[in-house]
Amino acid sequence: MRWSCGSATEPWRVGVLFSRSGVMAVIEETQLRATLLAIDEINEAGGVNGRQVVPVVYDPGSETVAFALCAKRLMIEDGITTIFGCYTSSSRKAVLPVVERLNGLLWYPTLYEGFEFSPNVIYTGAAPNQNSVVLCSYLVETYGSRFYFVGSDYVYPRESNRVMRDLLRSQGGEVVGETYLDLRANRTDFLPVMRQIKRAGADVIFSTVVGYSTVYLYQAYAEAGFNPKVMPIASLTTTESEVRAMGFDVAEGQITAAPYFQSLANECNASFVNRYKRRHGEDEPTNMCAEAAYFQVHMFANALAQTNSMETDVIKPAVLGSDFNAPQGPVSVSATTSHTNLWSRIGRANRRGQFEIVRQSSAPVWADPYLVGRGRVSLSA
Amino acid sequence: MLDPSRSHDGSGGSERAPPELSSLEIVAVVRHDEEGEALARELRRTRARVHHLWPLPPRLPEDVDVIFCELVPQLPQCLPWVPGQPTAALVAVMAALQAPDLKLLRNCAPHGVLHRPFTANTVLTSLALARAQFLYERRLRSRIDKLDETLRAFRCVERAKTILMQTRQFDEDEAYHFIRRRAMSRRISISAVAAAIVDSNDVLG
Repeated sequence: MRWSCGSATEPWRVGVLFSRSGVMAVIEETQLRATLLAIDEINEAGGVNGRQVVPVVYDPGSETVAFALCAKRLMIEDGITTIFGCYTSSSRKAVLPVVERLNGLLWYPTLYEGFEFSPNVIYTGAAPNQNSVVLCSYLVETYGSRFYFVGSDYVYPRESNRVMRDLLRSQGGEVVGETYLDLRANRTDFLPVMRQIKRAGADVIFSTVVGYSTVYLYQAYAEAGFNPKVMPIASLTTTESEVRAMGFDVAEGQITAAPYFQSLANECNASFVNRYKRRHGEDEPTNMCAEAAYFQVHMFANALAQTNSMETDVIKPAVLGSDFNAPQGPVSVSATTSHTNLWSRIGRANRRGQFEIVRQSSAPVWADPYLVGRGRVSLSA
Repeated sequence: MLDPSRSHDGSGGSERAPPELSSLEIVAVVRHDEEGEALARELRRTRARVHHLWPLPPRLPEDVDVIFCELVPQLPQCLPWVPGQPTAALVAVMAALQAPDLKLLRNCAPHGVLHRPFTANTVLTSLALARAQFLYERRLRSRIDKLDETLRAFRCVERAKTILMQTRQFDEDEAYHFIRRRAMSRRISISAVAAAIVDSNDVLG
């Protein structure tokens, strides 16, 4: 495979696809920053086998079609095989045919609705059994079993709600209402939803609203005078970054399930948070999507150090089964599913914009993207 | 099959092409030189509708069945689809002495290759092969899409069966056949019926 290694000093070029503009920029920008931070760390430590890692970064501007075109450009014009990127499921689905046909490797650092397995993707965000399952039981036990679903109108919320509805029913609960709003929904669009929720007598609002409209949902909730101790908004996607955008007081008491929160107390996380803030500003919080974007670059570099080749067929076997000490704790990539075994945690937002961990798994939870085993996990408070 | 000894004079022979090729719409993007004309002529002998284009447009037409196109460096950018989702069969046309650029070939992901000099036989085989390959890939893609959907729907159908077994005292087979009959009579998918049963049960509590 000598021909694929290039010269001994030529850099390793990798593609990076996160939106810096458009409705998804709030969260995707943090994934971009974490990706670049990890690349910097690798290069400061001498690169991979003496060669620097050089990112080729494009901004798809939160447009699905642009993701496919940028992926095509990366692979065809830039000759790149490894791409870090995508937040929304629609953007992942747009990039999928490109990496599958040209045999690239997409590293996807975002939770998603599961039910997918591409040989050309490494999934480093949570599958439903790693967040929805634990969130559902926690909510039913703590607040009650009448859920109102509010989501953005695209692939992920509908698929994710299909999973949540199924979980909820198996716990004897019910969905008392369901509303989908445009990704560009504004504040006034959420006001009638709040009235419907009040009428429906929900115990929990399960939100799959993503992007900037997340801020409006929570603000409309606060304006409606609901009490998060009685009927919280529970989400799989509202991170420290969205909380910062909506205001700490607005988010206080709301619930999120995630493998990672910035508040985790361990050495690896402390160093990650420190470096992230030093590079991007003291006010910039980390979040679960940024954390996955960060550790996946390190996992890539470790595999590359072994194979010394970025050819997908060469590097992928080195990734599968590998493990890494991530800020969330030790994680590993499952060889059977290409999904990552991650931690399950439930966080409750406090007045400082951070999440207090109210429950967590005692070990990483095996990724089960097709919910074959219903992903039974035991959580300790 | 065409007789290899037959010349390119265009006389007769079209009845020898398989009839499924005669309904195709083909674009040939090659120079208007003698060889280019010969290629267009050979393709027309299948009775397909053939458009001879040159120079290569910045974006190739989308609504055709087969594209024959010179393998030039800008070809990947001119294809009207993203890799993995072709809307037409693609045949890369190469010069006799052109050293194969394997990277370029990979980036175009053609379904066949045609080398100069063209003969009646090579033109027809590349056309038939590329078309068959394209259709096969499309069948596979649609099968994967259906499998994906079925996997997701499976859980919903199971849930609907359980609901019917509880509310109507059906056994498992009866529950399934109930869903299936509804789907057939309303001409919608089994998973859509199952989803409706699950949803209405949610509303009823």
